[in-house]
Amino acid sequence: MTRGANSLLSGLLWTSPWWLGFLLLLAGPMALSLYISFCDYPLLQPPVYVGAANYQQLLSDAVFHKAVWNTVIYASLAIPIGTVLAVLLAVLLNQPARGQALFRACVFVPTVVPLVAAGVVWMWLLNPEYGLLNTLLRTIGVDQPPLWLESPRWAMVSLIFVSLWFVGSPVMIYLAGLQEIPEELYEAARLDGASAVQRFRHVTLPGLSPVILFNVVMGIITAWQVFALPFVMWRTRPGPDRATYFYTMYLFDNAFSYLKMGYASAMAWVQLLIILALTALVFIISRRTVYYRGV
Amino acid sequence: MSRVRELVNVRSVILLVVLGLPAAGLLAFGPRGERHIPADRVVIRYWEKWTGVEGAAMQRIVDRFNATVGAERGLWVDYNALGDVDKRMLIAAAGGDPPDVAGLPDRFVPPYADQGALRPLDELVRESGLALTDFKPIWLDICRFNDTLYALPSTPYTIALYYNRQLFRDAGLDPDRPPQTTAELNEYARRLTRVAENDPQDPDDDRIEQLGFTVSPAMLGWWHWVWPYFFGGELWDGRRFTLDTPATHAALEWIRELRTALGNKRVLQFEGTAGAIESAQNPFLSGRLAMVFQGPWLANWARVYAPDLDYGVAPFPSVTAEQQHVFASMDVFVIPTGARRPHEAMIFLSYVLRQEIMEELCQAHGKVSPYREPGQAFLTGHPNPHIRVFDVLAASPNAFGYPKMPTWAEAWTETLYLLETVLRDVREPSVAIHQTQAKIDHLVTQYDRMAARRRGGGQ
Repeated sequence: MTRGANSLLSGLLWTSPWWLGFLLLLAGPMALSLYISFCDYPLLQPPVYVGAANYQQLLSDAVFHKAVWNTVIYASLAIPIGTVLAVLLAVLLNQPARGQALFRACVFVPTVVPLVAAGVVWMWLLNPEYGLLNTLLRTIGVDQPPLWLESPRWAMVSLIFVSLWFVGSPVMIYLAGLQEIPEELYEAARLDGASAVQRFRHVTLPGLSPVILFNVVMGIITAWQVFALPFVMWRTRPGPDRATYFYTMYLFDNAFSYLKMGYASAMAWVQLLIILALTALVFIISRRTVYYRGV
Repeated sequence: MSRVRELVNVRSVILLVVLGLPAAGLLAFGPRGERHIPADRVVIRYWEKWTGVEGAAMQRIVDRFNATVGAERGLWVDYNALGDVDKRMLIAAAGGDPPDVAGLPDRFVPPYADQGALRPLDELVRESGLALTDFKPIWLDICRFNDTLYALPSTPYTIALYYNRQLFRDAGLDPDRPPQTTAELNEYARRLTRVAENDPQDPDDDRIEQLGFTVSPAMLGWWHWVWPYFFGGELWDGRRFTLDTPATHAALEWIRELRTALGNKRVLQFEGTAGAIESAQNPFLSGRLAMVFQGPWLANWARVYAPDLDYGVAPFPSVTAEQQHVFASMDVFVIPTGARRPHEAMIFLSYVLRQEIMEELCQAHGKVSPYREPGQAFLTGHPNPHIRVFDVLAASPNAFGYPKMPTWAEAWTETLYLLETVLRDVREPSVAIHQTQAKIDHLVTQYDRMAARRRGGGQ
């Protein structure tokens, strides 16, 4: 046996616990779920093959369309707003200032609050009568502040607003990315007479672009799987006029409330394909916009 | 040989020993769940959803069984309180290892029975000698699906109208005469509603300070779908979901009429401010809501959060005073298909269903008794001072439970959506009803088609 084959065997042997876990707990169930997506499977009776019926039904399911639309809206707003805010906060927190560590901690601390606890706290903050936000709005003269959680128009806005509460995680990643940008580039830009905005535009953003790419991809995956926060904040209801009923919530309901495992599996595979397609699109766009040093 | 020697070098062996030995040691001698099951007992696995006070009440009964009947018959009930017990039972049944007894909300009986997840109990009950005739008919009816008994009554309840007697007096209403019809309820609600614009201190403020009554999912529990019944309708005729009927139209118009009269936006604002029904912010308990449609457990919260609240309980009015429609529901005991000890499970259930034991449980849970003639000790010692009202309601010939449809979970969601669209003026009630009917018709047809196909009788 050659040395290479030996190394391979040795590597496989030592990584076998992971391979076993991967095959039994991920690849196996995924293959089964793909098969089930072509079946009617109420869990208690054997799956019955129905061809592409589940996928066809998705095309005419108004609730599915609503859930997809809500998820698209949420992702389209939460990801860009979150990214811009996180980058700006990271740049601010990267400035040498007194109490820098304290400011960084303040931005990061909310992310360690469990989602459920944060959801409950925000339910109170957004309470139309007693909530802090509406109390502030009334003090500045807004007579009829919105019913944040109970109005179809404002429910989505509220959720996106609350999602920004967790901006601390990407901020920390951006901060790490900012440390990687060579100081010489800033010096060179200064010597060339670049203003602060120009340095941000032509040095910081390109230097940070691989990290932005990473966070945007993670943001797409997270946004398409949003579940816990709306589940808690609307007390398991689909929100006013289903305004905060998202893809994964409908998938969960189909699987565990309606016992439609086949339909839920079809939804899961469509979800995976959507996330893959969006990620691929982002990578294609990134070829022209992301700058990798030394490449 | 050389290959094996290369793979199994000294470093690998040391690493394996260092990591492997503690792992093996933990597996062999590590901590175990606390169990004191005597070796000579047959174990009955019992999964329940109750925790806290409710769980403790059941645990006491289980302990007593284990110490008495269990000891005589060589049985031991292993009680486990689990969240989402319905889903866990389902997954365990699908995996071929269900518990011997499970406690479920009654709405799961038709779908689970139709899927073959529940064991029919008629024969087991006959063998055990349990006298079903001792129970009120509505509770047994809820336990049946397609004329077969699939469940046994656990802790039942009816839903009634709670009203604040002090607010009645303040509005010039007789606190001993609650509303008798739905129209009268709306009239009372209007008189009991107070808007802030009457306050000269703040003339621009027109928020509702005190609301007479509201049909809001936030103020109800899981019975947002019941309204057509109070107008003489039913939602399931055994084959078809019957939503698009004059009764539903009348019910939704009745709901809309009151909200329009009070100002729907203001009512929504009020509902948005209401805290969780089981909290101190419950507007009925804080005196901001004069009437509410709730179960007997509300008395437990009233005792904790509003001990001085002067309230009465009455049947929820129907469209005419002569009718008395009552929503009745309960938790049930089931024996899943594939349970290993069904006969032993039935011995345990027969013990729990003895009147004095069942009523001890129902009293601790703040529920009504499933028995036709509740014991005096149950009625006098009950934590809800109005328990007799709830008990009498269960005997009403017009008492109704959940529609016994296998696709109820989806219908439940759709009826919630229907109500919310009407409450928010998103759609005209007639349009919304029609759309919901079409959606559920489609679901039922699909389900029936697949059921026929599984039986080999259709496409």
